[in-house]
Amino acid sequence: MFVFVLALLYPLSGLGARVGRWQWDGIIPGSTATAVWNSLSLTAIALAVDVAVGTPVAYYLARSGCRDRIVWEAAVLLSVLMPPLALGILLSLAFGPQTALGAWLLRVGIPTSNSPLAFATTQVYASIGYYILAARAALAAVPRELEQVAALLGSTPLQVFWRVTFPLAKLGLAAAVSIAWVRALGEFGAVVVTAYYPSGMPVQIWINLQDAGMPAVLPLLIVFLLTALPLPWLIHLLAQRRNVSA
Amino acid sequence: MSVLEAHIVKQRRAFTVDVRLHLRAGDRFGLFGASGAGKSTVMSCLAGIESPDAGRISLGATQLYPPNLPLHRRPLAYLTQGDWLFPHLTVGQNVCFSLHKRNPNGAKEWIDELAERLDLRRIWDEPVVSISGGQARRVALARMLVRRPPVVLLDEPFTALDRATTDELVEALREWHAALGFTLIAVDHRPEILRRLCTRVAIIEYGRIVQEGPWSSVIAAPATSLSARLLSG
Repeated sequence: MFVFVLALLYPLSGLGARVGRWQWDGIIPGSTATAVWNSLSLTAIALAVDVAVGTPVAYYLARSGCRDRIVWEAAVLLSVLMPPLALGILLSLAFGPQTALGAWLLRVGIPTSNSPLAFATTQVYASIGYYILAARAALAAVPRELEQVAALLGSTPLQVFWRVTFPLAKLGLAAAVSIAWVRALGEFGAVVVTAYYPSGMPVQIWINLQDAGMPAVLPLLIVFLLTALPLPWLIHLLAQRRNVSA
Repeated sequence: MSVLEAHIVKQRRAFTVDVRLHLRAGDRFGLFGASGAGKSTVMSCLAGIESPDAGRISLGATQLYPPNLPLHRRPLAYLTQGDWLFPHLTVGQNVCFSLHKRNPNGAKEWIDELAERLDLRRIWDEPVVSISGGQARRVALARMLVRRPPVVLLDEPFTALDRATTDELVEALREWHAALGFTLIAVDHRPEILRRLCTRVAIIEYGRIVQEGPWSSVIAAPATSLSARLLSG
């Protein structure tokens, strides 16, 4: 295990490379703090959408016996298979101001490119497929018979979910949330097309690399790792602790 | 007053299950037959786990099918070969699962009685993943009865239990039937179990009831050679 972790984390040794005096803000004062705020706040919104929309979809895919499920699964897989850059281009073509939808949204004051909405929407498109696939696996692992017994004991479908399905699937759901968080927060290829501004951390790293070189990249990378890790880590710890106590 | 009227039609791979049941409140009724005869299909349709292809099921004024009434609104309890205890809960939490936040009159006394009679006191706070198979079956039985259901469906729940435990649980069920007056429908492939649990029996072969009546008359004159063999075995 130790050797594996050592190999896994070996690329981080690059953080110790001699690249010159670190610049915490690139060439624009306050850009790091702004990028951190943009990334964390908009990723939180995207994650909330992932969970709110993705969980019922994942549950349907896990439980539905209908043949149409195969088609929906293909649609989810398609969203996961999309190369990020291609996703960004397609989102721009589908939602951009040149489209009827984009033009209408712009008229009512909601710009669909280079805006917080564009940023969060792109993150949702980039991450929800991963959330659904992981959540589906977690929910499908809960024996259907347990849900049927709970229902026969008088629990409504919502009560069955909260009292039986969720507690038994929570470790897997925690993994799904973590994957979606990491996928959304680290998204670059699609976001750089649809929302160069407001810049999140991945785009800011790119800007820093172009404008100031490695001395402005490595510190932002450290900030990225320090801000990205706590949420999924905490969710995992909580899920495991409750599992043990149950 | 008739409590359960059922006509269940369900296509199986090899044959069609087509069964009519007519039970009065408090009846103890057994379905007996060879493995794969369609007994469990009937029970599953009554419980609502499966939906019949056609027919009609009503329980008093409540129509269970058609359309298929959602499981949580069915006034019945269903115990199968599997215990299906909630693995994230303790024994006590499993038993009291159906009470949720409700606390009906006399619930505490009734829970105490179930726990005492089924010897669950010692393991009440244990996680169910750490108890034995026999204990798990007792927990499942207590959990099923805690709501005092008007109809109890038993689908071979004593399979894989030793003789002593089976005898004890059958006796407990008889006592609670006398006290609570629920309607009991039981399925088993062992005639001696059904004979003790039920007063009337229906013999089912290839999805059809071929004989129905009190135990004594069915045993005295089995309608088919297959049921004669099964009843004597």
